[in-house]
Amino acid sequence: MEREDIADLLGRVSLRDRAAFSLIYQRCSAKLFAICIRILKDRNDAEEALQDIFVKIWQKAGSYAGNGDGANAFAWIAAIARYHCIDRLRQRKPPTVELDVATELPDLGPDPEHHAILRSEGARIDSCLEALDPDRAQAVRQAYVEGMSYQELAERFAVPLNTMRTWLRRSLLKLRECMDGNARPEQG
Amino acid sequence: MATPDQSKGDRSRDEVLAGEYVLGVLNLSERQQVEARLRHDWQFAAIVRRWEANLAHFNVDYDEEAPPAAIFAEIERRIFGPSLVLPSNGPLAAIWNSLPLWRGVSVAAIGMLALLLGLQWASELRPKPDQQLTAELAGKDSAISLVAQYDGASGRLAITPVANGGAEERSLELWLVEGEQPPTSLGVLPQTGQGEILIPDEMRARLTGGVTLAVSVEPFGGSPTGKATGPIVAAGEILR
Repeated sequence: MEREDIADLLGRVSLRDRAAFSLIYQRCSAKLFAICIRILKDRNDAEEALQDIFVKIWQKAGSYAGNGDGANAFAWIAAIARYHCIDRLRQRKPPTVELDVATELPDLGPDPEHHAILRSEGARIDSCLEALDPDRAQAVRQAYVEGMSYQELAERFAVPLNTMRTWLRRSLLKLRECMDGNARPEQG
Repeated sequence: MATPDQSKGDRSRDEVLAGEYVLGVLNLSERQQVEARLRHDWQFAAIVRRWEANLAHFNVDYDEEAPPAAIFAEIERRIFGPSLVLPSNGPLAAIWNSLPLWRGVSVAAIGMLALLLGLQWASELRPKPDQQLTAELAGKDSAISLVAQYDGASGRLAITPVANGGAEERSLELWLVEGEQPPTSLGVLPQTGQGEILIPDEMRARLTGGVTLAVSVEPFGGSPTGKATGPIVAAGEILR
């Protein structure tokens, strides 16, 4: 799928260019519809969500700080779709009981943002996931792809809710350290 | 709110919270709290953007599924309304697409701008060759450069974007986008680097939170049609 010029198209949509909007729909709607179905698991709901998502893309195109990178532009659009579906999913479920116990988190090193160039990490996430226990890596990936809550993840992996929280939070910190390390090979 | 000298523990918490938000495991009220924070805490927003870029690779797990054909028409109806009249084939088309009209409007607008600039800045624009230093800061493969102008007398250094000329001179034009209206030109940034635009009185009330400002690269002197024709180099919403 051609994604090179989605950033340009978003720029034109911010100026209310309907032809550009139509092109974005042609290029991205099949992928975004698949995201809606995967997260919402209901076709009618997914159709409504897809409409909302494209209305949001129309309204928010101006806030995409384009840097000419087509992959980032699609990632921006995909994030709108995922967040919308996740919000929709959380809204239709009864709120879960708050069981958030403060977890002891290991400290991260100095903020790497001063060193690392902010760019798409591409396939690096896969190699960093491999460094985690397989169960935990799978939990991270399923949480993202299916928009699962902590409660659902705990049920799926048959562990207590707070265990799942600890798993996932520690996994996130390990991933962050691994990605930062990859972004700074000269210091690894 | 995060501060530049946040402690390591705070950074761990922010990294985890941002990661949880991007993964999607938070509940609705937690998600809303994160979104509220994203609107004013740019450092935290950068952490979220980084997780988004890191995890975007998981998007390969989604297949493609063509939505029903009627969906796009419904989206257009929701955005543009039911009885839509396209400028290109509606009764207003002749006026809307009239080149002389837009040329006239552009010339009048540029003239007005030049007049206002002239009145406002006449003394400052007068060249003082021995005191004015200029540098052009060109980005690689970028449609725009920054012109730095240093006034030795006042000690003021002004940095202004200009369009990269190449073979033909180009101009940067500033646009105001309100709701679903076509963009309104706010004027052309002067190629000289003296890039201040004085907003006409009648336009000032329209520069409020929620409207979008955008800059496009146009033929020298601005878009000949009154609509943005060139690539958009920057766009952003005015924050409330």
